[in-house]
Amino acid sequence: MQKMGKQKNKTASFSFWNWVIASIIFRLILIYFPKNLNLASRPEVSTPLTSFRRLAEGYWLKQLSMSPYAGSMYHGSPLLLSLLGPLTVKRIEGQPNHLLYSLVSVIADVVSAILIRATGKNLRLAYLRSLESLDIVKQTKASGEFFKILSPGDAAALIYLWNPFTIVACVGLSTSPIENMAVILCLYGACSRLVPLAAFGWVIATHLSLYPAILIIPVIFLLGCGPDAPPRKLFLQKNDKEEVLNKSKLPLGFSWRPITHFAFWALLWSAYVLVLCGISLKQFGGLWEMFKSTYGFILTVEDLSPNIGVLWYFFAEVFDFFRNFFLIVFHVNILFMIMPLAIRLNHRPCFLAFVYIAIFSMLKSYPSVGDSALYLGLLGWFVNELADIQFSFFLFCGYVGVSLLSPVMHTLWIWRGTGNANFYFATAMVYACLQIILVVEGVSAMLNHDRKLRNLTTSKPQDAKS
Amino acid sequence: MAETKETSEKDEKPKPRVRPIVRLGIFLISHSVLVSVVCCTAGVLALFLLPVLAKNTYISENALMPGSASPMLSYQHVSDGNRLVKDLTNLDLKSSETGIESQRVIAQYMLELGAEVSFHKFHAQLNQFHPLHFFSSPDSGVIQENFSCSSYGINTVGIIRAPRGDGKEAIVLVTPYNALKSGLGEAVSVGIAYSVFSLLTQVTWLAKDVIWLVADSRYGEYAAVAAWLRDYQIPKFSSLSTLNSEMCPDINNLYDLKVNSIAGSKYSNSFRRAGTMAAALVLKVGDQSEQYEDTISIYAEASNGQMPNLDLINVVNYLAVHRQGLRVQVEKLWSLLNSSWLKSLGEIFESLGKVAKSLNPEWKFGIPATEYVEGTATLASSLYYQALGVPTGPHGAFRDYQVDAITLEISPKYSLDKFRRNDILLRGGRLIEGVIRSVNNLLEKFHQSFFLYLLTSPSKFVSVGVYMIALALLIAPLPMVAASLYVDANSLDSKTNKSTPSTIADTAERGITIRSWRWLYSAKLVFAVHVWGAIVSLLPYFICQIPDCSSTISFMIWVVLSMISLLTLYSVLASPFSCNNASQEKEWALVKSVTISYVFIGLGLMSVINFATAEIGALLMVPMCLLARPLKFDLRAGSLRSFSRMVCNLVLGLIAFPPAAFFLLKGMLEDFGSVNIGDFWMWVESLWAWNSATYIFIGMVYLPCWVLCVHILLHTC
Repeated sequence: MQKMGKQKNKTASFSFWNWVIASIIFRLILIYFPKNLNLASRPEVSTPLTSFRRLAEGYWLKQLSMSPYAGSMYHGSPLLLSLLGPLTVKRIEGQPNHLLYSLVSVIADVVSAILIRATGKNLRLAYLRSLESLDIVKQTKASGEFFKILSPGDAAALIYLWNPFTIVACVGLSTSPIENMAVILCLYGACSRLVPLAAFGWVIATHLSLYPAILIIPVIFLLGCGPDAPPRKLFLQKNDKEEVLNKSKLPLGFSWRPITHFAFWALLWSAYVLVLCGISLKQFGGLWEMFKSTYGFILTVEDLSPNIGVLWYFFAEVFDFFRNFFLIVFHVNILFMIMPLAIRLNHRPCFLAFVYIAIFSMLKSYPSVGDSALYLGLLGWFVNELADIQFSFFLFCGYVGVSLLSPVMHTLWIWRGTGNANFYFATAMVYACLQIILVVEGVSAMLNHDRKLRNLTTSKPQDAKS
Repeated sequence: MAETKETSEKDEKPKPRVRPIVRLGIFLISHSVLVSVVCCTAGVLALFLLPVLAKNTYISENALMPGSASPMLSYQHVSDGNRLVKDLTNLDLKSSETGIESQRVIAQYMLELGAEVSFHKFHAQLNQFHPLHFFSSPDSGVIQENFSCSSYGINTVGIIRAPRGDGKEAIVLVTPYNALKSGLGEAVSVGIAYSVFSLLTQVTWLAKDVIWLVADSRYGEYAAVAAWLRDYQIPKFSSLSTLNSEMCPDINNLYDLKVNSIAGSKYSNSFRRAGTMAAALVLKVGDQSEQYEDTISIYAEASNGQMPNLDLINVVNYLAVHRQGLRVQVEKLWSLLNSSWLKSLGEIFESLGKVAKSLNPEWKFGIPATEYVEGTATLASSLYYQALGVPTGPHGAFRDYQVDAITLEISPKYSLDKFRRNDILLRGGRLIEGVIRSVNNLLEKFHQSFFLYLLTSPSKFVSVGVYMIALALLIAPLPMVAASLYVDANSLDSKTNKSTPSTIADTAERGITIRSWRWLYSAKLVFAVHVWGAIVSLLPYFICQIPDCSSTISFMIWVVLSMISLLTLYSVLASPFSCNNASQEKEWALVKSVTISYVFIGLGLMSVINFATAEIGALLMVPMCLLARPLKFDLRAGSLRSFSRMVCNLVLGLIAFPPAAFFLLKGMLEDFGSVNIGDFWMWVESLWAWNSATYIFIGMVYLPCWVLCVHILLHTC
């Protein structure tokens, strides 16, 4: 899909909005074949957390004035029930059953794409500004020429919109488009320094799927020192060398003001969300019940039905008395990576966010293709920096191969009965490996890019001499 | 032997140097030509070695215990069966207008035994191509349309409840019977089933219910069985069934009155069910066999190359051979039996085996040449039917619901006159009884033995672990060649860029930035061609809607529309032939690299879905992909090597075109005179009618690959 986005960018008569409209039309066409595609029942699309069927079930339970969490069917937020629940039962005569709900997903996708585009524009401006302040615009002109046409915002938005994973998640009626929108809202708000918006996005994303909580670190960096730039050291070195104290060219130092703002707003929003949840769950056990069956369900990996992650298989095999230990190990695994990455990539908070999202969508307890769609879309922001990423072709083929092989293996196991769980789990492992390679190569390409910039700044005087 | 030698040779090369895996990969990639030649020949050789490597079958599930009990079917039961056969044949002589009469007779016989009887009415469902069927689960395949009363079929179902069971499991016995036009064979098969059925009502050991389905085969055997299975497995909550009876009251009334008047209590109007099916046997009695013995043919291939559990075939084979003295056979490609090259190949293998044995008597390698030829013929037909993806009989319907089923066709030595008939009834009945008794012992569903195998004779098989080697060797060069081409294209590109004197820094910079994403252009082309492939495979759905179209004309329309769509796609997506840019010079290498990667993914996927299709496809596609190189280069070079490569390319490009390959194969197997252009259309129609994945493979993997290879051949830069 990256291919499509990029390709279209190249052509002179490129029109971003045409492609957006085309993607909407494509989604609508697919929505009109719900029975035949049967995407909503695919394990790749709907996990226990994002499944449409479970949402509808939760809504029905609530309508019958029972707790929506009764029977371990629904594990999402009570707010989603109130917002999307009515759409699960509303039908229009002569139209597909869940048209209204699908339309909400489509709108969520488009909004996410627009936000990604706006953020991408911000990032590009920041990139150009930093190049300017380093006086290496000329050196990078060649690459700039290549990427001027290819603005990262457009690329990222189109990659997000046309990624088959996004399309499948949208047409498969899962709630991940909305979760993704919350994450993107948070990043957009942080990038364009709209503190209340960022706080709102962060609170909602955390509320919906817990894992985006760790995005607080990139958000703090974003608010504190602005969007992605080359390492601060570089600017300082340069200023030392030229011995011209040009303060205006220095990037801003870390400022605490927006962060206190953010903390305030985050507190406010979370209190608000909790109050709303509390009201809607008043008769059904209150907030504690909600925490137990949403966050508790995520953290204890209760549902071991197969998905594209690696945890279900492991916890199906593991002995019961080791279970708690391994639960801790697996979740700490995510937390372990937070600090080193934050230290190494603190000058590039958006990229840091991308890496975090990729990591938790690989290690989360119920991953779906919707999560991959998010980080693959965000990858488009860094087309300039990641231009010389290694193994790009291999990764692309790997993603194509795995996403085709995984349903086939699932069919072989469940429907034909000639395969077994190992077949399906093998594809899940390959998928996890691919994601690891993507993250590793992405990070190393980014560091190489920084190195290249440093070389350019330091080698400039020599060029001038010659 | 030769193959193993070669592979070991290949393995040994990198072995002495103990280096990281990356070095190994680089080594393999840099020697990709040699590796691919070695791997491909080894793959083809391994395919021909499969009959030699076949293992004897064995009964893997201990609970089956075939033949451990002596058969209980006596002459009493046989004479009962014979009585039914006589009644049926007499009925045929008397009146054959509706066929209802014979169904009534069968039902009456069943009722007399104390079985539960019901009739199942179904519509003959036309096999229709629906483009989205491939992605949906079996239940959504029900197309409900208006049928007239004339297209009714009526299955008769008898169920014996097991005295020792809890009604959770069942064994199914199917006898196709066409009431309108029944031969003696069908009547005898019903007779055999009846004699077994009458025995089973009396036995005490039965732990699973037995369902006897007399499938009304006037609209085809498969359709009847499939319709019954669909209603059995997927309870209908809609009002369709009641609607049916309202629509056609006369048929229903006729039934109810007559049957009710005869017996009463155990007849039911509604659909009767027993438990989940453990296994199903379809029994047919064919015409006189050409062999000099009573033979029994086993048909096992279900849709998309799925096979029943090998244990089921083993049990039948064991009981037929060792207990009933029947000769068991599976399908063969008869035309291969007389081919001389296969015979000589068999002799080579035989002598090789002898040499191996003289070296070490422990090595039991090599089989007699005649056996090899027979094994190859069986293997070829096994591959062919699996690759076709069309079930070889009504048993195919069961496999869609994960029920293991086979069709047994008994062909007697002499014609079915009265004395011989008793013998066939007795032996056939005892065989069926034995199989049912074995399956009855089963505690779980069949799972012990293989599901993925190829038969080389009724008692020999090649398991998935062995035959996958052949395919793996065949497609192993693909990723390596793709990688080496990719690396070559990139390094050449940067070299040419550096050699240009103007603005070295800029171009170097640019080379880096573009290089890692340059494959996107080729990927775009490949993607476009695959989209075209999808369009081409959807076109027949629309062509079908044209009324009164002969197969030849439909085929022509299809070809023309495909060409038009290809040309438009080419013109819309910036013409790939243009090479104004110097860096595009190696474009074809990248296109080839991407093509090969996608072929690898496609073949890998298909090998999981349907091995046989992947194997046959790989035999054609792998050489075509690996050899493809712009003809212009070979013409320019003018050496013998490039000339031979050019000839190879041209020949492969011609042969591998799907219709050409089809006509060539058909001509080789049958006769070139009988080949008709419309045949291809008919063949394709049968593929999609059966929802065969082979159709998708041809449309979405094979055809795009062929087009891309031709594109590379015609590349002008």
